[in-house]
Amino acid sequence: MSGAVGREAVFPTRQSLGLMKNKLKGAEIGHSLLKRKSEALTKRFREITRRIDEAKQKMGRVMQIAAFSLAEVSYAVGGDIGYQIQESAKQARFRVRAKQENVSGVLLPSFESYTQDGVNDFGLTGLGKGGQQIQRCRETYARAVETLVELASLQTAFLILDEVIKVVNRRVNAIEHVIIPRTENTIKYINSELDELDREEFYRLKKVSGKKKRDVAAADAAILAARQRAAEEQAANPEAASKAPPAKEEESTDVLGENEDNDVIF
Amino acid sequence: MAASAASSKDRQFLAVIGDEDSVTGLLLAGIGHVSDGPDADKNFLVVDSTTETSKIEEHFQKFTQDRKDIAVLLINQHIAERIRHRVDAFTDPFPAILEIPSKDHPYDPEKDSVLKRVRRLFGE
Amino acid sequence: MEGLFFNVNGGYVEGIVRGYRNSLLSGQNYSNLTQCETIDDVKLQLAPSYGDFLASLPPNPSTSDLAGRMMDKLVSEFKYLTAQATGSSAEFLEYMKYGYMIDNVALLITGTLHGRELKPLLERCHPLGWFETLPALISATNIEELYNIVLIETPLAAYFKDSLSHQDLDELNIEIVRNTLYKNYLEDFHHFITTHPDFRGSPTQDVMAEILQFEADRRSINITLNSFGTDLSKSERANLYPQIGKLYPEGNYMLGKADDVEGVALAVSAVADYKAFFDAVGLSQGGGLGGMGGGPADGKSLEDLFYQKEMELSKLIFTRQFTPAVVYGWMKLKEQEIRNVTWISECIAQNQKERIGNFISVF
Repeated sequence: MSGAVGREAVFPTRQSLGLMKNKLKGAEIGHSLLKRKSEALTKRFREITRRIDEAKQKMGRVMQIAAFSLAEVSYAVGGDIGYQIQESAKQARFRVRAKQENVSGVLLPSFESYTQDGVNDFGLTGLGKGGQQIQRCRETYARAVETLVELASLQTAFLILDEVIKVVNRRVNAIEHVIIPRTENTIKYINSELDELDREEFYRLKKVSGKKKRDVAAADAAILAARQRAAEEQAANPEAASKAPPAKEEESTDVLGENEDNDVIF
Repeated sequence: MAASAASSKDRQFLAVIGDEDSVTGLLLAGIGHVSDGPDADKNFLVVDSTTETSKIEEHFQKFTQDRKDIAVLLINQHIAERIRHRVDAFTDPFPAILEIPSKDHPYDPEKDSVLKRVRRLFGE
Repeated sequence: MEGLFFNVNGGYVEGIVRGYRNSLLSGQNYSNLTQCETIDDVKLQLAPSYGDFLASLPPNPSTSDLAGRMMDKLVSEFKYLTAQATGSSAEFLEYMKYGYMIDNVALLITGTLHGRELKPLLERCHPLGWFETLPALISATNIEELYNIVLIETPLAAYFKDSLSHQDLDELNIEIVRNTLYKNYLEDFHHFITTHPDFRGSPTQDVMAEILQFEADRRSINITLNSFGTDLSKSERANLYPQIGKLYPEGNYMLGKADDVEGVALAVSAVADYKAFFDAVGLSQGGGLGGMGGGPADGKSLEDLFYQKEMELSKLIFTRQFTPAVVYGWMKLKEQEIRNVTWISECIAQNQKERIGNFISVF
């Protein structure tokens, strides 16, 4: 038995050989399918990873611009609006909804941002001064948050794909390195057992036929001896000899028939 | 997969743990949501130098585990540094945790939990 | 004539302020500041005028800390002035503080409405807007109490009395409250400097009336511009316009009717200064709100131009003598200076040097 893979506990029969062959075929198809899935996912994964890298850099820039626009606000308002903003926040205007995308049978959620209409907590903030800056700052931040949401979907997809790819690869490897060799081993085993049986049977039959040949030879010898005896007797008593031959003819055909039968059985 | 897909449906808010400026800006964008009732539940936390780390952890726990309506948690990177072990330990897909730069702390990709994983996968 | 007696009471204060004025940053200082690479450099550049106040800052402080320390210096200087002022000058300085009080009260009302702890709120209050009964606001647990017991004790009571009841505090957006108070405050201040026997017919009246009227017009215009796209009704809006200023009454009336930026431009076109501002930022040609701020080529927004004008007016005050108005001018200049420095250090901290010159310097 080769390596640690072992083989399955089956009786080495022709039926289980058929089963194993089917199984091997199935495993090979499954393997190639999973392999393709894993490749598709990995492709996607690499793309996402690259996009995450890009998006993170972009986020750095976007957030910087946003922070700067907040600085403009504090310049224009001439004071701190942080507390007021925190207190007047009530309803989220900016929300996300989850969508799903199917990549090779894996459901990847992606977030989509939308703004809830009619919710505006800060409409009058900066009424006296700085209103325009605040408005602009809100837009800048809203855009920044959109980038963030995009990044968040990428990141979630990244985590899920990472997980799924691990699972798929584990399966691929399991099939490749365990199931297929094992099934192959089993098939080999069954084949070797069957061959063994064949050989045994062949040997047995050879023995049987040998024995039969011996028997036939012995019988022939006996008949020959009998014939000689009869010929001798006929020479001594011709009358008896003229009666005897037909009977002997029949007997000899019978013996031949038996031999033929034996051959058929071989 | 099915379970996480179902639970992602009702996640519609963003949450933020950040310094005052970051929170203010993000609130201006309109992500702030305060539930009604006496013990109003906010989806943002302002952290300054006097904020206890335990408080940050508590909110992190609340936003990531207890609340089921949060899709994305934004956290300033320098604050994430303070509770790095918690952030690194959190690997669920939901809510997505996003480390964002703050005004005074420019973004450092080396410290980002997710980017660290990205880098590791590519063996860099 | 006023020169004969003014110095008896107000001479010292005026002298001090003129001294303070000399420590304001000049164009040379600003150009040095814009060359800085780090906040530490900024700190170093500021050392001559802000030395002791910045000394305790850690290396590379945040811009808000820096601004905070600069404000501390302004506050301590102002407090010194109020301590020295007597008579009508003291009253004048008191009036100057009301504007900050309004902000503080608005802050506390917001906090009370949301049932917040008031202790941290007090720390956020502007130190210049501090008044004795301010901590008493803490004791109020609901708005009605706040109004009935506490607010009427404050110096701002008069501004609440005529236009706001406690129901208003509940329902009105706090911004409306704030702007209503500010409107009443401006009118009252204007009334004070035009009718007080010490100031009537004095240089104080001349310069202060002009600057207050400008302030009033600026608020009217800003409120109008900022109210577009919000649910503030026109009548509510009209109630927020101070009834003084060059725009009053016709301009205010037209502002009240304005539906868009063109309407505002039309309303202010009677006053040459404002018309020039609108032309400069391209609003009168239908540039739209999007053109504000970053849009125009020279990077000036309408607000910038207003600030510029305010600074020029404040600077002009120093050409007058025998008036506490110089304190007002100094104060405004100093505030602008703090804003400028904050802006510059913000630009440096965030590496956005291309817009670093977007500050207002008048010296």
